Amino acid sequence: MNEIVHIGPWELAAAYLLLAFPFAIILWYRVPMLGETVISLVRMTVQLLLVGLYLQVIFRLNIVWLNAAWLMVMVAVADVSIVRSCGLRFRRIAWPVSLALAAGTTAPLMLFTGLILGRHNLLDAQYAIPIGGMILGNCLRADIVGIRTFYESIRSTEKAFLQSLAEGASLHEAVRPYVRKATQAALAPTVATMATIGLVSLPGMMTGVILGGASPATAIRYQIAIMISIFSGTAITVALAIRLTTRTSFTPFGLLDPAIFRDRPKK
Amino acid sequence: MAKALEANDLEIRFGVQTVLRGFSLALASGEKVLLTGPSGCGKSSVLRCFLGFVAPGAGSISIDGEGLTAATVWRLRQRVAYVGQEPDLGTGTAAQAVERPFHYRANAGLRRNLDRVPELFERFHLARDLLQKDVGSLSGGEKQRIALISAILLDRKIFLLDEVTSALDKAGKQAVADYFHSRDDATALIVAHDPEVFSFVQRIVALPGNSQAKEAT
Repeated sequence: MNEIVHIGPWELAAAYLLLAFPFAIILWYRVPMLGETVISLVRMTVQLLLVGLYLQVIFRLNIVWLNAAWLMVMVAVADVSIVRSCGLRFRRIAWPVSLALAAGTTAPLMLFTGLILGRHNLLDAQYAIPIGGMILGNCLRADIVGIRTFYESIRSTEKAFLQSLAEGASLHEAVRPYVRKATQAALAPTVATMATIGLVSLPGMMTGVILGGASPATAIRYQIAIMISIFSGTAITVALAIRLTTRTSFTPFGLLDPAIFRDRPKK
Repeated sequence: MAKALEANDLEIRFGVQTVLRGFSLALASGEKVLLTGPSGCGKSSVLRCFLGFVAPGAGSISIDGEGLTAATVWRLRQRVAYVGQEPDLGTGTAAQAVERPFHYRANAGLRRNLDRVPELFERFHLARDLLQKDVGSLSGGEKQRIALISAILLDRKIFLLDEVTSALDKAGKQAVADYFHSRDDATALIVAHDPEVFSFVQRIVALPGNSQAKEAT
């Protein structure tokens, strides 16, 4: 297979020419998102340039603790994003969610690099950072859906939840139906993706491996392994995040603490 | 002898609003008491205090002489059967709703009580085929009676009943009243707007609309 074609600054600038199409549509129909689009484009460019520079350094040095620190930074950023998107109080759930994210990312990542790829250095930058990033990115999406579903469901069916406590359920038993519903909601997109992968779109990792010069046969093996890792990571993260946040979100009497929400309940 | 239910100098607040102040009540074992008063005076909240669902601003709650605290609430809740206003039976069929509490560890040994479902359905004028219906399709009165049957099956001696006959017809109300009248062993604190249904109670406690509660006999 051929080596990947390098994209120079001028060639990259040419990619921005493609923006003529969405901008023309936005301006023609006066879609009220021009400013938002420009800001997002600038953010994307600056963020990726900075991350690219930083990753180049990390890849060149390839020091285990530095790679681990970078993964932890990614976990912290994902953590903040999840908590904000869930509409819950940062102080109450940030720590449990970060633990769940760290566990849900680390466990499949270590198995991927150690067992599947057979790397002695489990945190080799070339593998650990992109694979860890893919697992974490999916955990982030799943966690937002899972945590939000869990807490919103309990809040919206408070009467049924309290009835289960009155009937003698322990807190663990009372939240079980909500955990089931939240886990299903969180995992459903990954399950659906697995069912259609390769038919509807060529997945990101497979594309990356092919562009990197590997054969499609190698690329699909990477893709299968990453899908299983993502599924495993999201399941661990969602279950753990709900379990750990439950400890800080309920009163000693087993009631959902309304102070956990940043907004007031919808009437 | 310890009281089955006891509230001492209870104060209930919601935000800045005090709903009830200085309220005391004690029910001896086997006693039936009707709690009445205008809407919003705190009747339902008093019942929910006994389950730890409403934290009183002041005062204390005891069940069978034991103070209700974070440490005791999980055990004490298992002595009380609660049927709330407009019960939410969750999802699934009526049969699943009735069976649900028996999946909890606390009730695992009571599963044989499900054998009493046909008898109780008959007693409360419910058709047997109702068990296969989705709870979402049940009427308010059917839901009330299923929630009541579910509570009865838990074999608890203390009942907290919040407007449990509000959606029932005359015969249904009478069936509920007859059941509790016949249960000499059961203690019941009943909130109802139709006191004539529960004419067998030993006492009626009226909560006033303002926050100064009095006990009437």
